[in-house]
Amino acid sequence: MSHQYQAIGWNRQKRFYDLTVIAGVVIYVGLFVGLSAFFFPYATAETMLIRATGSAAFLLLHVVLCIGPLCRLDSRFLPLLYNRRHLGVLTFLLGAFHGVFGIIQFHSLGDKDPLVSLLTSNGNFRSLPDFPFQQLGFFALLILFLMAATSHDFWLRNLTPPVWKSLHTLVYVTYALLVGHVTLGVLQSETSPVLAIATGVGLATVLGLHLAAAQRERRVDGTKLKAVPEGFVDACDVHGIPEKCAAVCSVNGERVAIFKYDGKISAISNVCRHQNGPLGEGKIIDGCVTCPWHGYQYLPDTGASPPPFTEKVSTFRTKVVDGRVWIDPKPNPPGTRVEPSRIQASEMRA
Amino acid sequence: MIQPLRKTHRAIFLVLAVLLPVLFLSGIAFRHSWPGIKSDQVRLARARR
Repeated sequence: MSHQYQAIGWNRQKRFYDLTVIAGVVIYVGLFVGLSAFFFPYATAETMLIRATGSAAFLLLHVVLCIGPLCRLDSRFLPLLYNRRHLGVLTFLLGAFHGVFGIIQFHSLGDKDPLVSLLTSNGNFRSLPDFPFQQLGFFALLILFLMAATSHDFWLRNLTPPVWKSLHTLVYVTYALLVGHVTLGVLQSETSPVLAIATGVGLATVLGLHLAAAQRERRVDGTKLKAVPEGFVDACDVHGIPEKCAAVCSVNGERVAIFKYDGKISAISNVCRHQNGPLGEGKIIDGCVTCPWHGYQYLPDTGASPPPFTEKVSTFRTKVVDGRVWIDPKPNPPGTRVEPSRIQASEMRA
Repeated sequence: MIQPLRKTHRAIFLVLAVLLPVLFLSGIAFRHSWPGIKSDQVRLARARR
């Protein structure tokens, strides 16, 4: 979190993350090319590079898609989410290398423009084994470019988080296109079952993790809160909230994070203004609710970021009654101060 | 604010959970050669006979 504009806010963790990922990709491509040269000595260097970068991009996209649900299922994966966008940009760069080399190798030697050749040379849309799989890869690359180009916080701020997130939901369309590209492309000519099994395992992993995470989220959203006097709802037990952490409940379809700290209770929207991260899965650090995704901070009583920052989230009125936390389902405008509810000594001990 | 996005995400994944396995399995089932069958070698062996 920084109030001064910086193209990239480099820090030690970011450098370590990026260096690790780049080293991993270099080792993967090196091993792929080396082993291919050993086992398939007749293959050309261009073919090996096309396959190495294409498979690296596809593998990296699997990693990108698995990070989100893994973090929802187990908070120990959160450090991976910190720079997930960098993985996305690297996926695009590898895909672009694969695509450009592929177009040069297969479409640049005729009398047609390479792009026209790519889009028109195969029209067998009704045949699965002869389907124009390269076109699927081309459209996937276009979407990856769009996402990589708008991955910076500049675009996040200008497009607003909901629009930006909707745009980046296209990653699932990309994934579907690439599964088609691989299945109807390389798997049609590959005689070894290894690649087919690896693709199937990757697909099952991505779908399985997302469905498991969605099931877990559904439970939180599906819990009905009991109405109590004065228009409040009974949200949770005070003792169920760990100190300086939150319980998350769903009120009128939106999630609220109820924080316990220093004998007090405050409730704010669960949605971080930066990238819609889950504030209720963060902690109170230095007196501020800290988003677990990128460290954006908010004061628990006002929902406002400490000066000079300007982000604000909605707050909710709370009460502590007989060891239970009640909240008013009606949100206050973002940044509105609400006096925290005090937890009585008897309720602390209970 | 985020609930519509979450619903969209769920809907997309339910569609993908059906569509992608069907695409993958169909692609494998209808391909020219099955894994493990070295068609060229079989053809060569027959030709030698």
